[in-house]
Amino acid sequence: MLHKLNRFLNGETYFASVARFVLSFGSLLIIWQILTATVVTNRLLLVPPFEVFRAFMDEIASGEMWNNAQATVFAVGTSFPVAVLVGVLMGVVLASSRAISLMGGPMLSALNSVPIIALAPLFIAWLGLGFASKFVLVLLVAVFPVVVTTEAGLRAADKNLIETARSFNATRLQIFTTVTFPYALPFIVSGVRVAWARALVGIVVAEFFGSFAGFGFAVMAASQTFDTATLLAYVIVLGGMGLIGSVIFQSLEERLAPWRKA
Amino acid sequence: MAQSMNDEHILEIDNIGKTFRRRDDTDLVALDDINLKVKKGAFISIVGASGSGKSTLLRIIDGLLEPNGGTVKVNGKTVTKPGKDRAMVFQNDSLLPWKTVIQNVAYGLTLAGVKWRDAAKTAQGFIDLAGLSGFENQFPHQLSGGMRQRVNVARGMAVDPDILLLDEPFAALDSQTREIMQTELLRIWQQTGKTVLLITHQIDEAVFLSDEVVVFSARPGTVRERIPVPLARPRNLDIKRSIEFVGLVDQIWKLIEEEVKAAAKT
Repeated sequence: MLHKLNRFLNGETYFASVARFVLSFGSLLIIWQILTATVVTNRLLLVPPFEVFRAFMDEIASGEMWNNAQATVFAVGTSFPVAVLVGVLMGVVLASSRAISLMGGPMLSALNSVPIIALAPLFIAWLGLGFASKFVLVLLVAVFPVVVTTEAGLRAADKNLIETARSFNATRLQIFTTVTFPYALPFIVSGVRVAWARALVGIVVAEFFGSFAGFGFAVMAASQTFDTATLLAYVIVLGGMGLIGSVIFQSLEERLAPWRKA
Repeated sequence: MAQSMNDEHILEIDNIGKTFRRRDDTDLVALDDINLKVKKGAFISIVGASGSGKSTLLRIIDGLLEPNGGTVKVNGKTVTKPGKDRAMVFQNDSLLPWKTVIQNVAYGLTLAGVKWRDAAKTAQGFIDLAGLSGFENQFPHQLSGGMRQRVNVARGMAVDPDILLLDEPFAALDSQTREIMQTELLRIWQQTGKTVLLITHQIDEAVFLSDEVVVFSARPGTVRERIPVPLARPRNLDIKRSIEFVGLVDQIWKLIEEEVKAAAKT
Protein backbone atom coordinates (compact mmCIF):
# COMPACT_ATOMS: atom_id res chain seq x y z
CA MET A 1 0.00 0.00 0.00
CA LEU A 2 2.71 2.47 1.05
CA HIS A 3 4.86 1.21 -1.75
CA LYS A 4 2.07 1.90 -4.23
CA LEU A 5 1.55 5.40 -2.88
CA ASN A 6 5.25 6.10 -3.19
CA ARG A 7 5.25 4.90 -6.80
CA PHE A 8 2.26 7.14 -7.54
CA LEU A 9 3.91 10.19 -5.98
CA ASN A 10 7.09 9.61 -7.97
CA GLY A 11 5.06 9.46 -11.15
CA GLU A 12 4.91 11.93 -14.00
CA THR A 13 1.12 12.15 -14.16
CA TYR A 14 -0.88 15.30 -13.66
CA PHE A 15 -2.64 13.84 -10.60
CA ALA A 16 0.67 12.92 -9.01
CA SER A 17 1.92 16.49 -9.29
CA VAL A 18 -1.33 17.80 -7.82
CA ALA A 19 -1.07 15.26 -5.00
CA ARG A 20 2.53 16.28 -4.33
CA PHE A 21 1.49 19.93 -4.12
CA VAL A 22 -1.45 19.23 -1.78
CA LEU A 23 0.70 17.02 0.44
CA SER A 24 3.56 19.49 0.86
CA PHE A 25 1.20 22.45 1.30
CA GLY A 26 -0.92 20.49 3.77
CA SER A 27 2.02 19.52 5.92
CA LEU A 28 3.17 23.13 6.00
CA LEU A 29 -0.27 24.15 7.33
CA ILE A 30 -0.20 21.43 9.98
CA ILE A 31 3.28 22.39 11.20
CA TRP A 32 2.21 26.03 11.24
CA GLN A 33 -0.90 25.17 13.28
CA ILE A 34 1.09 23.09 15.77
CA LEU A 35 3.67 25.86 16.06
CA THR A 36 1.09 28.52 16.94
CA ALA A 37 -0.61 26.17 19.42
CA THR A 38 2.56 25.18 21.30
CA VAL A 39 5.74 27.18 20.76
CA VAL A 40 4.81 30.66 19.50
CA THR A 41 1.66 31.52 21.37
CA ASN A 42 2.15 35.30 21.18
CA ARG A 43 -0.40 36.45 18.57
CA LEU A 44 1.71 39.48 17.73
CA LEU A 45 4.44 37.25 16.38
CA LEU A 46 2.50 34.51 14.69
CA VAL A 47 -1.16 33.64 14.19
CA PRO A 48 -2.65 30.28 13.23
CA PRO A 49 -3.50 29.63 9.56
CA PHE A 50 -7.23 29.92 10.07
CA GLU A 51 -6.98 33.47 11.40
CA VAL A 52 -4.88 34.42 8.41
CA PHE A 53 -7.56 32.98 6.18
CA ARG A 54 -10.21 34.99 8.02
CA ALA A 55 -8.14 38.17 7.66
CA PHE A 56 -7.82 37.39 3.98
CA MET A 57 -11.59 37.06 3.61
CA ASP A 58 -12.09 40.29 5.57
CA GLU A 59 -9.77 42.14 3.22
CA ILE A 60 -11.70 40.81 0.24
CA ALA A 61 -15.05 41.72 1.80
CA SER A 62 -13.92 45.28 2.60
CA GLY A 63 -12.58 45.78 -0.91
CA GLU A 64 -9.08 46.52 0.39
CA MET A 65 -7.64 43.44 -1.28
CA TRP A 66 -9.00 44.57 -4.62
CA ASN A 67 -7.67 48.13 -4.20
CA ASN A 68 -4.21 46.92 -3.29
CA ALA A 69 -4.20 44.27 -5.99
CA GLN A 70 -5.06 46.86 -8.61
CA ALA A 71 -2.20 49.13 -7.55
CA THR A 72 0.40 46.38 -7.37
CA VAL A 73 -0.67 44.41 -10.43
CA PHE A 74 -0.93 47.54 -12.53
CA ALA A 75 2.57 48.69 -11.54
CA VAL A 76 4.17 45.28 -12.06
CA GLY A 77 2.07 44.55 -15.12
CA THR A 78 3.32 47.63 -16.91
CA SER A 79 6.86 47.71 -15.60
CA PHE A 80 7.77 44.02 -15.90
CA PRO A 81 7.03 43.62 -19.64
CA VAL A 82 9.01 46.79 -20.30
CA ALA A 83 11.89 45.39 -18.24
CA VAL A 84 11.84 42.16 -20.25
CA LEU A 85 11.72 44.00 -23.56
CA VAL A 86 14.51 46.41 -22.61
CA GLY A 87 16.56 43.54 -21.17
CA VAL A 88 16.28 41.48 -24.35
CA LEU A 89 17.15 44.46 -26.54
CA MET A 90 20.17 45.31 -24.42
CA GLY A 91 21.27 41.67 -24.45
CA VAL A 92 20.97 41.58 -28.24
CA VAL A 93 23.05 44.74 -28.59
CA LEU A 94 25.70 43.41 -26.20
CA ALA A 95 25.87 40.08 -28.01
CA SER A 96 26.09 41.69 -31.43
CA SER A 97 29.40 43.39 -30.85
CA ARG A 98 32.44 42.36 -28.90
CA ALA A 99 33.53 45.96 -28.46
CA ILE A 100 30.20 47.03 -26.97
CA SER A 101 30.18 43.99 -24.72
CA LEU A 102 33.69 44.71 -23.46
CA MET A 103 32.85 48.37 -22.84
CA GLY A 104 29.38 47.91 -21.39
CA GLY A 105 29.90 44.61 -19.58
CA PRO A 106 31.91 45.85 -16.57
CA MET A 107 29.57 48.81 -16.13
CA LEU A 108 26.55 46.54 -16.18
CA SER A 109 27.97 44.09 -13.67
CA ALA A 110 28.93 47.00 -11.41
CA LEU A 111 25.37 48.31 -11.63
CA ASN A 112 24.06 44.81 -11.11
CA SER A 113 26.00 44.37 -7.89
CA VAL A 114 24.64 47.59 -6.41
CA PRO A 115 21.65 46.66 -4.24
CA ILE A 116 19.22 48.82 -6.19
CA ILE A 117 16.65 48.30 -3.48
CA ALA A 118 18.82 50.51 -1.29
CA LEU A 119 18.20 53.33 -3.73
CA ALA A 120 14.44 53.10 -3.26
CA PRO A 121 14.17 56.14 -0.95
CA LEU A 122 16.13 58.15 -3.51
CA PHE A 123 13.83 57.19 -6.37
CA ILE A 124 10.82 58.07 -4.28
CA ALA A 125 12.36 61.47 -3.58
CA TRP A 126 12.92 61.97 -7.32
CA LEU A 127 9.72 60.57 -8.70
CA GLY A 128 7.28 61.06 -5.89
CA LEU A 129 4.96 58.64 -4.15
CA GLY A 130 3.01 56.29 -6.35
CA PHE A 131 3.23 54.74 -9.79
CA ALA A 132 6.35 56.36 -11.28
CA SER A 133 8.74 55.35 -8.52
CA LYS A 134 7.35 51.79 -8.46
CA PHE A 135 7.67 51.54 -12.23
CA VAL A 136 11.30 52.62 -12.28
CA LEU A 137 12.36 50.51 -9.32
CA VAL A 138 10.82 47.34 -10.72
CA LEU A 139 12.32 48.08 -14.11
CA LEU A 140 15.78 48.48 -12.65
CA VAL A 141 15.78 45.35 -10.52
CA ALA A 142 14.17 43.15 -13.18
CA VAL A 143 16.14 44.21 -16.22
CA PHE A 144 19.57 42.82 -15.33
CA PRO A 145 18.86 39.08 -15.20
CA VAL A 146 17.25 39.37 -18.63
CA VAL A 147 20.19 41.28 -20.11
CA VAL A 148 22.69 38.76 -18.77
CA THR A 149 20.85 35.62 -19.89
CA THR A 150 19.98 37.09 -23.30
CA GLU A 151 23.60 37.87 -24.04
CA ALA A 152 24.79 34.52 -22.69
CA GLY A 153 22.14 32.62 -24.67
CA LEU A 154 22.93 34.40 -27.92
CA ARG A 155 26.64 33.81 -27.47
CA ALA A 156 26.14 30.15 -26.57
CA ALA A 157 24.38 29.40 -29.87
CA ASP A 158 25.79 26.31 -31.54
CA LYS A 159 28.54 27.26 -34.01
CA ASN A 160 27.66 24.29 -36.22
CA LEU A 161 24.12 25.57 -36.62
CA ILE A 162 25.37 29.05 -37.51
CA GLU A 163 27.73 27.56 -40.10
CA THR A 164 24.87 25.51 -41.52
CA ALA A 165 22.75 28.62 -41.92
CA ARG A 166 25.69 30.40 -43.55
CA SER A 167 26.17 27.53 -45.97
CA PHE A 168 22.56 28.05 -47.08
CA ASN A 169 23.49 31.67 -47.77
CA ALA A 170 21.54 33.06 -44.81
CA THR A 171 21.78 36.78 -44.11
CA ARG A 172 22.85 38.06 -40.70
CA LEU A 173 19.23 38.79 -39.87
CA GLN A 174 18.17 35.28 -40.94
CA ILE A 175 20.91 33.74 -38.81
CA PHE A 176 19.58 35.77 -35.88
CA THR A 177 15.92 34.91 -36.39
CA THR A 178 16.34 31.23 -37.31
CA VAL A 179 19.36 30.16 -35.24
CA THR A 180 20.75 32.35 -32.48
CA PHE A 181 17.51 33.81 -31.16
CA PRO A 182 15.56 30.51 -30.98
CA TYR A 183 18.65 29.00 -29.35
CA ALA A 184 18.74 31.81 -26.77
CA LEU A 185 15.00 31.77 -26.02
CA PRO A 186 15.03 29.19 -23.20
CA PHE A 187 17.99 31.06 -21.66
CA ILE A 188 16.01 34.30 -21.86
CA VAL A 189 12.97 32.71 -20.22
CA SER A 190 15.11 31.48 -17.33
CA GLY A 191 16.32 35.05 -16.92
CA VAL A 192 12.71 36.26 -16.98
CA ARG A 193 11.90 33.78 -14.22
CA VAL A 194 14.63 35.21 -11.99
CA ALA A 195 13.57 38.73 -12.95
CA TRP A 196 9.98 38.02 -11.87
CA ALA A 197 11.08 37.08 -8.36
CA ARG A 198 13.19 40.22 -8.20
CA ALA A 199 10.37 42.37 -9.53
CA LEU A 200 8.12 41.26 -6.68
CA VAL A 201 10.77 42.22 -4.14
CA GLY A 202 11.14 45.52 -5.94
CA ILE A 203 7.46 46.36 -5.94
CA VAL A 204 7.03 45.50 -2.26
CA VAL A 205 9.96 47.66 -1.22
CA ALA A 206 8.78 50.52 -3.41
CA GLU A 207 5.35 50.26 -1.84
CA PHE A 208 6.79 50.11 1.68
CA PHE A 209 8.24 53.56 1.32
CA GLY A 210 6.36 55.34 -1.33
CA SER A 211 2.71 54.61 -1.95
CA PHE A 212 -0.83 54.79 -0.75
CA ALA A 213 -1.96 51.45 -2.08
CA GLY A 214 -0.54 48.07 -3.02
CA PHE A 215 0.42 44.82 -1.36
CA GLY A 216 3.61 46.31 0.05
CA PHE A 217 1.70 49.26 1.43
CA ALA A 218 -0.84 46.89 3.02
CA VAL A 219 1.92 44.80 4.62
CA MET A 220 3.47 47.95 6.05
CA ALA A 221 0.12 49.28 7.26
CA ALA A 222 -0.76 45.97 8.91
CA SER A 223 2.58 45.75 10.67
CA GLN A 224 2.17 49.24 12.06
CA THR A 225 -1.17 48.29 13.60
CA PHE A 226 0.23 44.95 14.83
CA ASP A 227 -2.28 43.13 12.65
CA THR A 228 -0.16 40.04 12.04
CA ALA A 229 -3.00 38.06 10.47
CA THR A 230 -3.58 40.66 7.72
CA LEU A 231 0.15 41.05 7.20
CA LEU A 232 0.54 37.31 6.62
CA ALA A 233 -2.50 37.24 4.34
CA TYR A 234 -0.81 39.73 2.00
CA VAL A 235 2.51 37.92 2.21
CA ILE A 236 0.75 34.74 1.12
CA VAL A 237 -0.85 36.54 -1.81
CA LEU A 238 2.59 37.80 -2.84
CA GLY A 239 3.95 34.27 -2.48
CA GLY A 240 1.17 33.07 -4.74
CA MET A 241 2.11 35.64 -7.37
CA GLY A 242 5.72 34.52 -7.21
CA LEU A 243 4.77 30.88 -7.45
CA ILE A 244 2.46 31.35 -10.42
CA GLY A 245 5.13 33.27 -12.31
CA SER A 246 7.75 30.69 -11.51
CA VAL A 247 5.55 27.79 -12.65
CA ILE A 248 4.56 29.54 -15.88
CA PHE A 249 8.11 30.49 -16.85
CA GLN A 250 9.49 27.10 -15.89
CA SER A 251 7.00 25.27 -18.07
CA LEU A 252 7.63 27.76 -20.87
CA GLU A 253 11.34 27.03 -20.59
CA GLU A 254 10.73 23.30 -20.91
CA ARG A 255 8.31 23.74 -23.78
CA LEU A 256 10.76 25.92 -25.68
CA ALA A 257 13.62 23.47 -25.34
CA PRO A 258 12.20 19.94 -25.30
CA TRP A 259 15.41 18.55 -26.82
CA ARG A 260 17.34 19.36 -23.63
CA LYS A 261 15.26 16.98 -21.57
CA ALA A 262 15.83 13.98 -23.84
CA MET B 1 22.24 23.27 -70.36
CA ALA B 2 22.43 20.00 -68.48
CA GLN B 3 23.07 17.93 -71.61
CA SER B 4 25.66 20.17 -73.21
CA MET B 5 27.54 20.49 -69.91
CA ASN B 6 27.71 16.76 -69.52
CA ASP B 7 31.32 16.31 -70.49
CA GLU B 8 32.53 19.59 -69.10
CA HIS B 9 33.87 20.23 -65.67
CA ILE B 10 31.24 21.43 -63.25
CA LEU B 11 33.86 22.15 -60.60
CA GLU B 12 37.32 23.57 -61.28
CA ILE B 13 39.76 24.10 -58.43
CA ASP B 14 42.89 26.02 -59.41
CA ASN B 15 45.96 26.59 -57.24
CA ILE B 16 43.97 26.79 -54.02
CA GLY B 17 46.06 27.53 -50.96
CA LYS B 18 45.00 28.29 -47.40
CA THR B 19 47.12 29.43 -44.51
CA PHE B 20 45.78 29.95 -41.02
CA ARG B 21 47.37 32.33 -38.57
CA ARG B 22 47.93 30.63 -35.22
CA ARG B 23 47.48 32.45 -31.94
CA ASP B 24 51.24 32.76 -31.47
CA ASP B 25 51.45 34.48 -34.89
CA THR B 26 53.06 31.53 -36.67
CA ASP B 27 51.50 30.29 -39.88
CA LEU B 28 49.81 26.97 -40.41
CA VAL B 29 49.72 25.98 -44.07
CA ALA B 30 46.59 23.87 -44.38
CA LEU B 31 46.34 23.60 -48.15
CA ASP B 32 49.04 24.08 -50.75
CA ASP B 33 48.37 24.41 -54.46
CA ILE B 34 45.30 22.21 -54.82
CA ASN B 35 44.19 21.51 -58.39
CA LEU B 36 41.16 19.38 -59.11
CA LYS B 37 38.57 19.18 -61.83
CA VAL B 38 35.31 17.32 -61.38
CA LYS B 39 32.91 16.26 -64.14
CA LYS B 40 29.21 16.77 -63.88
CA GLY B 41 27.41 13.89 -62.20
CA ALA B 42 30.58 12.37 -60.79
CA PHE B 43 30.93 10.98 -57.29
CA ILE B 44 34.34 11.98 -55.95
CA SER B 45 35.77 11.20 -52.52
CA ILE B 46 38.66 12.87 -50.81
CA VAL B 47 40.61 10.83 -48.24
CA GLY B 48 43.71 11.68 -46.27
CA ALA B 49 45.25 11.69 -42.84
CA SER B 50 43.72 13.81 -40.10
CA GLY B 51 44.67 17.44 -40.44
CA SER B 52 45.37 17.23 -44.17
CA GLY B 53 42.97 20.08 -44.86
CA LYS B 54 40.13 18.08 -46.44
CA SER B 55 37.41 19.87 -44.52
CA THR B 56 39.09 23.21 -45.16
CA LEU B 57 38.94 22.58 -48.90
CA LEU B 58 35.27 21.66 -48.68
CA ARG B 59 34.52 24.89 -46.80
CA ILE B 60 36.39 26.88 -49.44
CA ILE B 61 34.37 25.20 -52.19
CA ASP B 62 31.17 25.98 -50.31
CA GLY B 63 32.26 29.60 -49.90
CA LEU B 64 32.34 29.52 -46.09
CA LEU B 65 36.10 30.14 -46.08
CA GLU B 66 38.16 32.36 -48.32
CA PRO B 67 41.33 30.88 -49.82
CA ASN B 68 44.59 32.82 -49.68
CA GLY B 69 45.19 32.14 -53.32
CA GLY B 70 43.69 30.40 -56.31
CA THR B 71 40.12 30.12 -57.51
CA VAL B 72 37.18 27.76 -57.25
CA LYS B 73 34.79 27.80 -60.19
CA VAL B 74 31.39 26.15 -60.27
CA ASN B 75 29.72 26.05 -63.68
CA GLY B 76 32.45 28.45 -64.81
CA LYS B 77 31.61 31.04 -62.16
CA THR B 78 34.10 31.95 -59.45
CA VAL B 79 32.95 31.16 -55.92
CA THR B 80 33.03 34.03 -53.44
CA LYS B 81 30.31 33.01 -51.00
CA PRO B 82 27.80 30.19 -50.41
CA GLY B 83 25.32 29.83 -53.23
CA LYS B 84 22.38 27.87 -54.57
CA ASP B 85 24.59 25.74 -56.81
CA ARG B 86 26.23 24.08 -53.79
CA ALA B 87 24.89 22.51 -50.61
CA MET B 88 26.84 21.24 -47.65
CA VAL B 89 25.98 18.28 -45.43
CA PHE B 90 27.81 18.51 -42.14
CA GLN B 91 29.12 15.77 -39.91
CA ASN B 92 26.49 15.74 -37.20
CA ASP B 93 23.90 17.56 -35.19
CA SER B 94 23.60 20.47 -37.51
CA LEU B 95 19.81 20.09 -37.51
CA LEU B 96 17.82 22.82 -35.82
CA PRO B 97 16.51 21.13 -32.64
CA TRP B 98 13.39 23.31 -32.44
CA LYS B 99 12.29 22.50 -35.98
CA THR B 100 10.53 19.33 -37.12
CA VAL B 101 11.93 17.01 -39.76
CA ILE B 102 9.99 18.66 -42.56
CA GLN B 103 10.87 22.15 -41.34
CA ASN B 104 14.53 21.16 -41.21
CA VAL B 105 14.49 19.67 -44.70
CA ALA B 106 12.77 22.82 -46.00
CA TYR B 107 15.16 25.11 -44.11
CA GLY B 108 17.40 26.01 -47.04
CA LEU B 109 14.37 26.71 -49.21
CA THR B 110 12.69 28.98 -46.67
CA LEU B 111 15.96 30.90 -46.22
CA ALA B 112 15.96 31.45 -49.98
CA GLY B 113 12.51 32.97 -49.71
CA VAL B 114 10.47 30.04 -51.04
CA LYS B 115 6.89 30.12 -49.72
CA TRP B 116 6.20 27.55 -47.01
CA ARG B 117 3.61 25.65 -49.03
CA ASP B 118 6.00 25.15 -51.95
CA ALA B 119 8.98 24.49 -49.70
CA ALA B 120 7.02 21.84 -47.78
CA LYS B 121 5.99 20.15 -51.01
CA THR B 122 9.59 19.95 -52.22
CA ALA B 123 10.79 18.86 -48.78
CA GLN B 124 8.18 16.11 -48.69
CA GLY B 125 9.60 14.68 -51.92
CA PHE B 126 13.08 14.43 -50.43
CA ILE B 127 11.73 13.09 -47.15
CA ASP B 128 10.14 10.27 -49.13
CA LEU B 129 13.32 9.78 -51.15
CA ALA B 130 15.41 9.55 -47.98
CA GLY B 131 13.07 6.97 -46.45
CA LEU B 132 11.77 9.32 -43.77
CA SER B 133 8.06 9.15 -44.61
CA GLY B 134 5.98 9.20 -41.45
CA PHE B 135 8.59 11.14 -39.49
CA GLU B 136 7.78 14.58 -40.94
CA ASN B 137 6.54 16.05 -37.69
CA GLN B 138 9.10 14.49 -35.35
CA PHE B 139 11.85 16.56 -33.81
CA PRO B 140 15.52 15.67 -34.32
CA HIS B 141 16.00 14.55 -30.71
CA GLN B 142 13.30 11.94 -31.27
CA LEU B 143 15.26 10.31 -34.11
CA SER B 144 18.20 7.92 -34.19
CA GLY B 145 21.61 9.07 -35.40
CA GLY B 146 21.09 7.43 -38.78
CA MET B 147 17.71 9.07 -39.22
CA ARG B 148 19.15 12.45 -38.36
CA GLN B 149 21.79 12.06 -41.05
CA ARG B 150 19.08 11.16 -43.57
CA VAL B 151 17.38 14.43 -42.68
CA ASN B 152 20.71 16.18 -43.09
CA VAL B 153 21.26 14.73 -46.57
CA ALA B 154 17.64 15.44 -47.55
CA ARG B 155 18.04 19.06 -46.46
CA GLY B 156 21.09 19.44 -48.69
CA MET B 157 19.28 17.81 -51.62
CA ALA B 158 16.12 19.89 -51.17
CA VAL B 159 17.71 23.14 -52.34
CA ASP B 160 18.48 21.35 -55.63
CA PRO B 161 22.22 22.10 -55.73
CA ASP B 162 24.44 21.17 -58.67
CA ILE B 163 27.08 19.91 -56.27
CA LEU B 164 26.49 18.22 -52.95
CA LEU B 165 29.36 18.60 -50.49
CA LEU B 166 29.46 15.94 -47.77
CA ASP B 167 31.78 16.45 -44.81
CA GLU B 168 32.20 13.03 -43.16
CA PRO B 169 28.45 12.65 -43.01
CA PHE B 170 28.48 9.18 -41.47
CA ALA B 171 31.43 9.55 -39.09
CA ALA B 172 29.28 9.57 -35.97
CA LEU B 173 27.28 6.46 -36.91
CA ASP B 174 27.89 2.86 -35.90
CA SER B 175 29.30 0.62 -38.62
CA GLN B 176 26.03 -1.15 -39.46
CA THR B 177 24.05 2.07 -39.79
CA ARG B 178 26.93 3.50 -41.76
CA GLU B 179 26.78 0.72 -44.35
CA ILE B 180 23.03 1.13 -44.72
CA MET B 181 23.49 4.86 -45.17
CA GLN B 182 26.17 4.27 -47.81
CA THR B 183 23.81 2.22 -49.96
CA GLU B 184 21.05 4.76 -49.35
CA LEU B 185 23.33 7.58 -50.46
CA LEU B 186 24.23 5.65 -53.63
CA ARG B 187 20.55 5.09 -54.38
CA ILE B 188 19.71 8.78 -53.87
CA TRP B 189 22.71 9.86 -55.94
CA GLN B 190 21.68 7.59 -58.79
CA GLN B 191 18.10 8.86 -58.71
CA THR B 192 19.03 12.54 -58.67
CA GLY B 193 22.21 12.56 -60.75
CA LYS B 194 23.91 15.19 -58.61
CA THR B 195 27.64 15.76 -58.53
CA VAL B 196 28.90 14.66 -55.13
CA LEU B 197 32.10 15.53 -53.33
CA LEU B 198 32.57 13.44 -50.18
CA ILE B 199 35.15 13.81 -47.44
CA THR B 200 35.70 10.69 -45.39
CA HIS B 201 38.13 8.90 -43.13
CA GLN B 202 36.81 5.52 -44.15
CA ILE B 203 38.72 4.28 -47.18
CA ASP B 204 36.28 1.47 -47.90
CA GLU B 205 33.44 4.01 -47.85
CA ALA B 206 35.29 6.16 -50.39
CA VAL B 207 35.96 3.23 -52.72
CA PHE B 208 32.46 1.81 -52.41
CA LEU B 209 30.75 5.08 -53.30
CA SER B 210 33.06 6.87 -55.71
CA ASP B 211 34.03 7.09 -59.34
CA GLU B 212 37.36 8.43 -58.21
CA VAL B 213 39.20 8.69 -54.89
CA VAL B 214 41.47 11.68 -54.35
CA VAL B 215 44.21 10.99 -51.82
CA PHE B 216 45.53 14.00 -49.94
CA SER B 217 49.06 14.27 -48.63
CA ALA B 218 49.73 15.00 -44.97
CA ARG B 219 49.85 18.67 -43.97
CA PRO B 220 50.10 20.87 -45.91
CA GLY B 221 47.37 19.20 -47.94
CA THR B 222 48.09 18.61 -51.59
CA VAL B 223 46.63 16.15 -54.08
CA ARG B 224 48.92 13.15 -53.69
CA GLU B 225 47.19 10.78 -56.07
CA ARG B 226 43.93 10.37 -57.97
CA ILE B 227 42.71 6.80 -58.09
CA PRO B 228 39.86 5.88 -60.45
CA VAL B 229 37.45 3.25 -59.18
CA PRO B 230 36.48 1.09 -62.17
CA LEU B 231 33.94 -1.03 -60.26
CA ALA B 232 30.67 -1.52 -62.15
CA ARG B 233 27.46 0.21 -61.04
CA PRO B 234 24.96 -0.21 -59.56
CA ARG B 235 27.00 -1.47 -56.65
CA ASN B 236 25.81 -3.37 -53.64
CA LEU B 237 27.55 -4.26 -50.40
CA ASP B 238 28.77 -7.59 -51.85
CA ILE B 239 31.46 -5.85 -53.87
CA LYS B 240 33.20 -4.93 -50.63
CA ARG B 241 34.43 -8.53 -50.58
CA SER B 242 35.63 -8.59 -54.21
CA ILE B 243 39.36 -8.75 -55.01
CA GLU B 244 39.35 -5.47 -56.96
CA PHE B 245 37.68 -3.68 -54.07
CA VAL B 246 40.08 -5.01 -51.47
CA GLY B 247 43.02 -4.23 -53.77
CA LEU B 248 41.93 -0.61 -54.18
CA VAL B 249 41.41 -0.14 -50.47
CA ASP B 250 44.83 -1.59 -49.84
CA GLN B 251 46.49 0.66 -52.43
CA ILE B 252 44.93 3.81 -50.92
CA TRP B 253 45.67 2.72 -47.39
CA LYS B 254 49.37 2.32 -48.27
CA LEU B 255 49.49 5.80 -49.76
CA ILE B 256 48.01 7.33 -46.62
CA GLU B 257 50.31 5.28 -44.42
CA GLU B 258 53.34 6.59 -46.33
CA GLU B 259 52.08 10.13 -45.88
CA VAL B 260 51.52 9.71 -42.17
CA LYS B 261 54.98 8.18 -41.71
CA ALA B 262 56.66 10.90 -43.78
CA ALA B 263 54.87 13.56 -41.77
CA ALA B 264 55.90 11.94 -38.48
CA LYS B 265 59.60 12.12 -39.50
CA THR B 266 59.66 15.85 -40.15
